[in-house]
Amino acid sequence: MMLKNPQVGTNSYLIKQLPNATAFLNTRLEVVHASDKWVDYFNFEDRNVFGKKIPVLFKTITKEWQKVLKDCLKGKACTTGMEHFVDEAKNERWFEWTNIPWYDEKENIIGVIIQTEDVTEAVQGELKLEKLQILSQEKSEIAKIGSWNYDLVNEKLTWCDMTKKIHGVPADFTPNIETGIEFYKQGYSRNTVSMAVEMAIQQGTPWNEKLQIITPDGEEKWVIAAGKPMYKNDELIGLIGTFQDINDQVLADKKTKESERLLKTLIDNLPLNVFIKDLDSRKILVNKSECDFLNVSGPEMVLGKTDFDMYPKEIAEVFRDEDLQVMNSLKPIIGKETLSRKQDGSVNTLLTSKIPLLGPDGQATGLVGISLDISDLKQKEEELRGLINVTSMQNKKLINFAHIVSHNLRSHSANFSMLLDFLINEECGQEKENITKMLVDASDNLLETLENLNEVVAINTNGNLDKKPTVLNDKVAIVEQNLAPFLKNNNAKIVNEISDDVVIKVIPAYLESILMNFITNAVKFKEPMRDPIVKLSTTKNENYTILSISDNGMGIDLKKYGDKLFGMYKTFHEHKDARGIGLYITKNQIEAMNGKVVACSEVGKGSTFNIYFNEKN
Amino acid sequence: MRKINSICIIDDDPITVFGIKKILGLVVVCDMVSTYANGKLAIDGIKKALEEDQMVPEVIFLDINMPIMDGWQFLEEFITLQMEQTVRINIVTSSIDSVDREKWEYFKSKSQHVITFNNKPIKKNDIALITKVA
Repeated sequence: MMLKNPQVGTNSYLIKQLPNATAFLNTRLEVVHASDKWVDYFNFEDRNVFGKKIPVLFKTITKEWQKVLKDCLKGKACTTGMEHFVDEAKNERWFEWTNIPWYDEKENIIGVIIQTEDVTEAVQGELKLEKLQILSQEKSEIAKIGSWNYDLVNEKLTWCDMTKKIHGVPADFTPNIETGIEFYKQGYSRNTVSMAVEMAIQQGTPWNEKLQIITPDGEEKWVIAAGKPMYKNDELIGLIGTFQDINDQVLADKKTKESERLLKTLIDNLPLNVFIKDLDSRKILVNKSECDFLNVSGPEMVLGKTDFDMYPKEIAEVFRDEDLQVMNSLKPIIGKETLSRKQDGSVNTLLTSKIPLLGPDGQATGLVGISLDISDLKQKEEELRGLINVTSMQNKKLINFAHIVSHNLRSHSANFSMLLDFLINEECGQEKENITKMLVDASDNLLETLENLNEVVAINTNGNLDKKPTVLNDKVAIVEQNLAPFLKNNNAKIVNEISDDVVIKVIPAYLESILMNFITNAVKFKEPMRDPIVKLSTTKNENYTILSISDNGMGIDLKKYGDKLFGMYKTFHEHKDARGIGLYITKNQIEAMNGKVVACSEVGKGSTFNIYFNEKN
Repeated sequence: MRKINSICIIDDDPITVFGIKKILGLVVVCDMVSTYANGKLAIDGIKKALEEDQMVPEVIFLDINMPIMDGWQFLEEFITLQMEQTVRINIVTSSIDSVDREKWEYFKSKSQHVITFNNKPIKKNDIALITKVA
């Protein structure tokens, strides 16, 4: 080692070995001697510290220490202080220094002796403690947890600031065990805490209770009061515990629970099916209505399942597509009419809304579904529509009938008027007679028209005549017998393929009239070149017995006349017996029995009339 | 008296035909009055006349409600016939249905011919007014 000051070489060597970190400074505060420990401890960049000034070595030196060093040179004795520095490893380190003046033999101050001690650990420990204290205080502030202890020996109860704050008393309040207990709300809370204290003292049991206190301001607060006995040398010396204000939580909890209950009550009792699905369309919430709709006893039967578990594949696919659409587009489906078919085959019409559920990132996390089973409504709507159809049809018939009446009566009265006008002005006797004859014809025509109209009215007003089960072939036989001469004259043949056990519910008189009309027509409009053959047969479907009457007659161009076929006074053949009333009346009779009639025909080949007899109503 | 070459009456009611004919005798001179009992017979007759280069009626009295082919169906076909002359068609009907008047308006606008709408009973004065060459 190079010594700066050779005069003190021996001393220097001694000092070098001192077990403490010690340095000797001259009056210029330059290092003269230093123990290895000292040099090592500070681990100076330049190992050669000798001759260097303290402020150069300690770049972060405090003014305080500099002052102390200067005072030391003036003979001011030993002061200790603390300095910190950052070592090579960038660790913050703390040391405590002690300075004393350095005297020569003649008691002259020739410098300063510094002794330093590493106090980093101690300082850090202290800091930690301080931090902990601050932290715990903060915690106590935030969590509103206070503490207390009861010194059983001196019967002295101590509350921390927070405990006082929770009790709503000033910081200088001095509690005792009685007043402490009186803060608790009378009844359950006070009884519980009294018992707990008693038990802790008697049997050493700790407690932890959720109770209510009343502050001097009359405010009720929920708190968690906890306590346990304290022992010293197996002897009970007191109680210690915590005191936490949980009023906000309890109230918030209560509110949340109330909201939850309200929501649950609401969802469960809504007359709507409500469900929540996750991204994979698994149901993660279903309400009571949805359970009822799916015919399961409880949500657990459905939760975690998808529509594929509950509906036929093709229906489930439709639902899944809807789900994906909603979750991908983030646009809700509102009030869409959907057809649902369950695995048992039952079909429902639902009015469904699907609303995407968004996560914090704005992406869908699932969806809320709300659906209303409108099957009943739908059925009623259909019934209503049916009723409207019936009504509008009846209305149409009425208007049609009114036109027929007015037209026919008008045409007759016009003829009367004209003929009478002629008669008045006619002078020729022969012509007068001619006109009179025409007047009689016109009158007969009018009477016939009135009879026909009356017949139609009768059919339509006697619609509530009783329908009776009637053996179809009995009626066919009667008609065949009545028409026998007519059939014979025309060389007509009836081929009856109807089974004898066919029974239909009809108004018997109408059935006769219907058979009579169709068979007569079939023969009347025969193809002149061939003998008429009329074929009768029946088939059945769900609601109707269908009687088919086919002929090999001249047929009719339905494209041209289809809409007029059953109209009144519409004739389509140049036939002397065509009056245009038969089919009109027949149609009215069929419809009066809730049936219908459909014609098909080919000109030159023949016609088939299918008469539907309603077996249901 | 006015002279008309050819008149045609299309009506299935013999009394109306009789009446129109009787009045016509009082108001015009016409050598040829033809009658048809329905539209089908009439259109066939007129088509035949056209084919054979014979005279087409100058005035037609047309009923609406007739069997086989009614007045409207007749008009539908008639207005498609190729002919140079303009025919006067007088609809004579007992119908007071507004639908029939609408149909009349429709045909009137679609056709080169003169078409009038008249309600029964038809009086002598009316016939005198509407029986002239279009």
